[in-house]
Amino acid sequence: MTPSSSRWRRLGAVAARILLGGLFLYAGGSKIVDPPGFAHELSNYRLLPDMAVAPIALALPWLEVLCGGLLVVGVWRRESALILAGLLVVFVGALSIDLARGIPVDCGCFGGAKPARSPAERFADMRLAIGRDVLLLILAAPVLFRANRPEEPTRPESRENDST
Amino acid sequence: MRLSPASRIALILLCSIPLAWASNRMASPQRRLAWSAKGASIAAVRPSPAAEGKQSAAPAAPWTEISGEGAVQLFEAKAIFFDARRTAAYREGHIRGARSLPAWEDIDEKLKALVAEGLDPSAPVVVYCSGGDCEDSHLLGQKLYLSGFDTVRVYRDGFPDWEKRRLPVSRGPNP
Repeated sequence: MTPSSSRWRRLGAVAARILLGGLFLYAGGSKIVDPPGFAHELSNYRLLPDMAVAPIALALPWLEVLCGGLLVVGVWRRESALILAGLLVVFVGALSIDLARGIPVDCGCFGGAKPARSPAERFADMRLAIGRDVLLLILAAPVLFRANRPEEPTRPESRENDST
Repeated sequence: MRLSPASRIALILLCSIPLAWASNRMASPQRRLAWSAKGASIAAVRPSPAAEGKQSAAPAAPWTEISGEGAVQLFEAKAIFFDARRTAAYREGHIRGARSLPAWEDIDEKLKALVAEGLDPSAPVVVYCSGGDCEDSHLLGQKLYLSGFDTVRVYRDGFPDWEKRRLPVSRGPNP
């Protein structure tokens, strides 16, 4: 591997990390400002027991913000990316199940309170959200797999603070 | 100190809970979610009518659904109406005289104040939201039943139906 191609790879990994982190910072933040709205969306999925709706609606956005923030600043990157990848898999699963069951839901991904929409519009948005989440999963891959590659050059300035 | 990856993940997961608790506490009532917003089951807090063993005025369900005509009759009979939608939607327009009780916001204090008013628990009250697949009125109906209201009526088609019938509507934060 030439030095320049490895530099590009590193740059790409940093860009992917910051993009993914920034997106989750935004997604979490937009839900934190209105927990009742998000709880409502979550309940519409009809996947969670009633008791779990409110605690998850309150804690999940903070988890997104925490992991997103850690990814952006580059601390505990792999752990944060792993949690976010896990969340993305759950989101894809939840959307797919409701799509298969024919339950139209508002994604709720970026907060609640959307104007009323038709079931067809909702189904289209759900498919779009699944595609977007899969893309984000791909974006998480370099963060997840890059750090445990011993063959990568480890010059002092290129080592990110993984030991914090 | 070096933490193992598993304990780092556990730490991140654990941190989200106190943050959620603190931010929810600091939020205004309209943006605050009751931790048990949807958790209270009727059986746990108040025995179901059948279990109470009362044949008399005990309703068969926490609420019964009514149509637009039923809502108009109760409106003319001066029944109390409760709007289960979000505060913002209530301000944009609600059934004249209806009180705001947003099912998803933290309304524990409002419910307590309502019970303290000492209203007749057997008098019918009407709850509504935005009709269609909106279930906020059913959620609020259950909360009202748990608070002691025996005759809760859910206006199935809700506010859109009321507007379509060109019936009295008010705007702003007051009933």
